Amino acid sequence: MPLITVSQLSKKFCARLRTSLWYGLRDMAAEVLPWRPRRQARLRPHEFWGLQDVSFELRPGEALAIVGANGAGKSTLLKLLNGLIKPDGGRIHIRGQVGALIELGVGLDPVLSGRENVFVRAALLGFSRAQVGPLLADIEAFAGLGEAMEMPVQFYSSGMVSRLAYAVTVHLRPEVLLVDEVLAVGDMDFQRKCINHMLAYLAGGGAIVLVSHNPYHIQAVCQRGLLLEHGQVTFAGTGLETLDRYFATQLQAPGQVGSAVPTASASRPVVIRGLQFEAQGAPAITNGCPLRVSLAYEAHHAIENVGWAFYMWTNDGLTCVTGGLRLEPVTLQAGHHQLACTVVDLPLTAGEYVVKAAIFELHSQQPLALVGWEDAPVSLRVEGSIDLEKNFQSMLRQLVTLNLSWHN
Amino acid sequence: MTEIIYSPESPLASPRAFGRAVLADIKAVFRIGWQLFVRNLVVQYRQSVLGYLWLLLPPLVLALVWTVLGRAQVLRTQALAVPFPVYVLAGVFLWQGFVEALNGPLQQLSAVRHTLAKVRVPHEAFVVAGMGVVVFNLAIRLAVLVVAMWWFEVPFRVTLALVPLGAAALLALGLALGWGVAVLGMLYSDIGNGLSVGVNLWFLITPVVYVLPGHYARYFNLNPVTPLLTTTRNWLLLGALPPAPGFWTVAALASMGVALGWLAYRLAQPHLVVRL
Repeated sequence: MPLITVSQLSKKFCARLRTSLWYGLRDMAAEVLPWRPRRQARLRPHEFWGLQDVSFELRPGEALAIVGANGAGKSTLLKLLNGLIKPDGGRIHIRGQVGALIELGVGLDPVLSGRENVFVRAALLGFSRAQVGPLLADIEAFAGLGEAMEMPVQFYSSGMVSRLAYAVTVHLRPEVLLVDEVLAVGDMDFQRKCINHMLAYLAGGGAIVLVSHNPYHIQAVCQRGLLLEHGQVTFAGTGLETLDRYFATQLQAPGQVGSAVPTASASRPVVIRGLQFEAQGAPAITNGCPLRVSLAYEAHHAIENVGWAFYMWTNDGLTCVTGGLRLEPVTLQAGHHQLACTVVDLPLTAGEYVVKAAIFELHSQQPLALVGWEDAPVSLRVEGSIDLEKNFQSMLRQLVTLNLSWHN
Repeated sequence: MTEIIYSPESPLASPRAFGRAVLADIKAVFRIGWQLFVRNLVVQYRQSVLGYLWLLLPPLVLALVWTVLGRAQVLRTQALAVPFPVYVLAGVFLWQGFVEALNGPLQQLSAVRHTLAKVRVPHEAFVVAGMGVVVFNLAIRLAVLVVAMWWFEVPFRVTLALVPLGAAALLALGLALGWGVAVLGMLYSDIGNGLSVGVNLWFLITPVVYVLPGHYARYFNLNPVTPLLTTTRNWLLLGALPPAPGFWTVAALASMGVALGWLAYRLAQPHLVVRL
């Protein structure tokens, strides 16, 4: 039996503050008149769907990653699951206690010590001192704060606050755990501890809803994932598939760099107009094939002594795999032109990658134009055949394939 | 295993389930409220040198000021059965209790609005904790008043036993109105701003520092605080048993108001959290 059943969940918000307050007043009045028919499905002026028709189930032992850009509705979904706000459509059915790890420092009293705050936090979550007493040793051991437990929380770092709040919440043993990007502030040791705890918690029959952009956390914990875009579920699959899909939505199409890029001017002498990849002598870009990289630029006037570079990253944007850096002086011609080079033997294993590029002044090494750093990078797909070797590569998430000659 | 269902329907669509949920929560609300009250007491003066002396200082200073004013006879308007400073102190302390109960819910909930927006906690517990502080403060003030009564040789009468009832009615009226103020005030800041102005005006039309004028008593009694405050003060100082006209009606309405306010806030809560 699922621990969480969410069906056609919708929530609307109002974009204007005063109108929102007025709607709030009307909605509160409507609560007192339950016999009056409601029209939740209709948006009132200045309202928009923050979440629309979201459905999923979560069974004991399952962890679901919620992935999406800022404003996609992830936090709204967690607030609804936590019962902080009320749906405008659909239904949530939860079997068991819910523990929420959302903004961990909230609710802790800065003047009280860590240990005193354990009791206050637990009290707010409905647990008496008598219930918390026997758990205190475990909570202190998990938080690993040592003598800092006696110190007022106002002197804690954000990582220490996370440790304390996480330790309290998880030791109260909820059946469902809602986790919202809270591991980001902890150090590596604590993150590892949390991941191990979550795995043990899942093995014990708990369920987790995790909002994170960290591929490692999602890969380690979540079997399943949901991609939210503008409040709607646009993809549901495994955790990694969902992440891949999310990163793909963040990319720019090859050759088409930011349609909003301004034209070159005296104050902005160079802009990058496109980044193209083309397999040479092969129908598709594959490992080992020669790859032509062309960077289209527009220069306001001729500029001497510039260098340029491109870097190939894993498609989560976390690891730079390889790249090319031209330090020989190049002269940019005024108008629309191209810089190009050929990767003689593309080392990338089949898969999705992203490419960032830059044109910079050689002497000062200051960038003149960038693509992929402050805006979305350009995607690069390396094709591969479906065979045993490819399966091993996918399983290991191998990034580079060597050009080998086996001797026996 | 607990089963929770969140849906757009009003909880009042199934009143029995709503009632059961409220009753099931009351115990937890009071338990958490008590822990928060104790926490507040512990925290309140931790960063202060004088510490818990601050609990006693304001009523003591007020008592001293009114004693000096009374001795100077600057405010005496007519003959009273008790010394004027004691009369005024009793009125002021009871009025302060009412005002604190009135302001309590909005103040308490506003102070933790960031927590309420992020953590699922019973909001009512913060109000209960706040009311604990109001009762505690009133008890300290009344203790100071008892010392003042002894100092001014006001006899301790048997009607003193009824004072908790009168004080409870006064606090209930404050809390009943305070729930309404909180629901609206969490949305519109105008309510909080208007409240401070309104309370000052209200003070002027309540016989706190003056005696109920005979000619206009009928109009003054329309003010719901008047019968509660006058009756409680009479029980404190004069030993007059019969309550002022309207006392029982206002006390009953105030008690109902507390319960209705509690329920109304519960219904409003998710709509408020969205806008915090």
